Amino acid sequence: MAKRETPLLDQLESGPWPSFVTDIKRQAETKPECWDILGILELSYKERITHWKHGGIVGVFGYGGGIVGRYADVPELFPGVEHFHTIRVAQPASKYYTSANLRQLMALWEKYGSGMTNFHGSTGDIILLGTRTENLEPFFWDLTHDMGQDLGGSGSNLRTPANCIGESRCEWACYDTEEACHSMTIKYQDEIHRPAFPYKFKFKFSGCPNDCVASIARSDISVIGTWRDAIRIDQAAVKEYVAGNYPANGGAHSGKDWGKFDITKEVINLCPTDCMWMEGAELKIDDKECTRCMHCINVMPRALRPGLDKGASLCVGAKAPILDGAQFATLIIPFVKMSKDNDFEELVDFIEKVWDWWMEVGKNRERVGETMQRVGLPTFLSVMGVTPIPQHVKEPRSNPYIFWREEEVEGGFTRDIDEFRAKHKA
Amino acid sequence: MAMSKEELKKAIEEKALTSPKPQLYIKDFYACDPDTKPRDMKNVANEMVREGKLMFWSSGSTTMYAIPSRIKNEEGAGGIGNVE
Repeated sequence: MAKRETPLLDQLESGPWPSFVTDIKRQAETKPECWDILGILELSYKERITHWKHGGIVGVFGYGGGIVGRYADVPELFPGVEHFHTIRVAQPASKYYTSANLRQLMALWEKYGSGMTNFHGSTGDIILLGTRTENLEPFFWDLTHDMGQDLGGSGSNLRTPANCIGESRCEWACYDTEEACHSMTIKYQDEIHRPAFPYKFKFKFSGCPNDCVASIARSDISVIGTWRDAIRIDQAAVKEYVAGNYPANGGAHSGKDWGKFDITKEVINLCPTDCMWMEGAELKIDDKECTRCMHCINVMPRALRPGLDKGASLCVGAKAPILDGAQFATLIIPFVKMSKDNDFEELVDFIEKVWDWWMEVGKNRERVGETMQRVGLPTFLSVMGVTPIPQHVKEPRSNPYIFWREEEVEGGFTRDIDEFRAKHKA
Repeated sequence: MAMSKEELKKAIEEKALTSPKPQLYIKDFYACDPDTKPRDMKNVANEMVREGKLMFWSSGSTTMYAIPSRIKNEEGAGGIGNVE
């Protein structure tokens, strides 16, 4: 394949930032088909239209996910990208790799593919970009037999679950995110490899409300670690922070002089629920008002720690679509215990209840969050068998009766408003 | 009462053969037998893929099902387990 002239793409290399164009040119030195990637993109820039066909029927035997068919619609002009299929490879929990594993994976991809990768895709798995149909089965054989790795999810499947580093490195993890992610991956192999749903479905596991995998923004069921007792306070350490002997935020942001640490300004006044105050030299927290924002714990990690009665909150319905804007997940279950000892029973029960309902009620290409929006949160809670709580009400918080059905209201909805107002002022 | 597996396979095949579009969503098969639960329907459709009676078509974000001869005519490319 000949080198392509790419004057429009070349402009992308002129800025101070790293350019994918430079990367692809470098890769083209050993994989000439990469010139055709640049060529077809240059053509799209000129004609302002894509030259990739939409989807395809390729895959590996027994799997209905993990391979995404990509074909050029101008193969006569760019034969190197006539087929340019994507392969999704499941990442290890927390994305811990050995360098030997990465070298083996890259060697495999140089052998069967273009060598181009997206490490990682926004779902969390390893995206290998560009191979031909005849290379799919040999690649899959080597990946599974020589490396013991598997394909990830794509299409209307359960997507490769992802998690934060959890207890492996983080003192704030409220459950073992790696164990939960691994257990769900193994339990739901069929849903990962064979399409089951009206559309894609994602789990993500964060160990604490800092939510380092952004599960609340990009997963259909977001499992976020939390606690239901009191934040643990070391009052001696609070004094050290106030005295300036311990650096705030574990020393992060220390590249600038922020002045003396001010616990009132930097912690207490920033609490979103106003649940903290000082009594003399002691920090007090009204834990029942705490919304688990993590700010105080992040600022004073040596003084404050999550409580001891730990588990997770389950939120449902996030998505990050291109066309109509992002949607955060909604809190549905405030607390479940997360334990391998009972095979994450409460989580599994909830997942399967959501799936059974969504598979029946969800429209084609409708994420579960969109189905929830369409039927309304009260209906969703009712179907899930969840008792409404104030935290389910986004707005107005003063109007929780919206959850009540007529049969739940004494006298139905036809009571005399004047008689009611005589006793209850508006 | 839900159809037997063989009856369901026949109904799915008929639907996939006669639908105006060659690709169908899993939900399109629900109408073949309203008494079959969605998960069971998915299992039957996937079994038909393993038997070569149906084939997956994926856009990357969505997966659909099709009769191999119909979809191959449209796509003109190899498919699952077909690496010629």
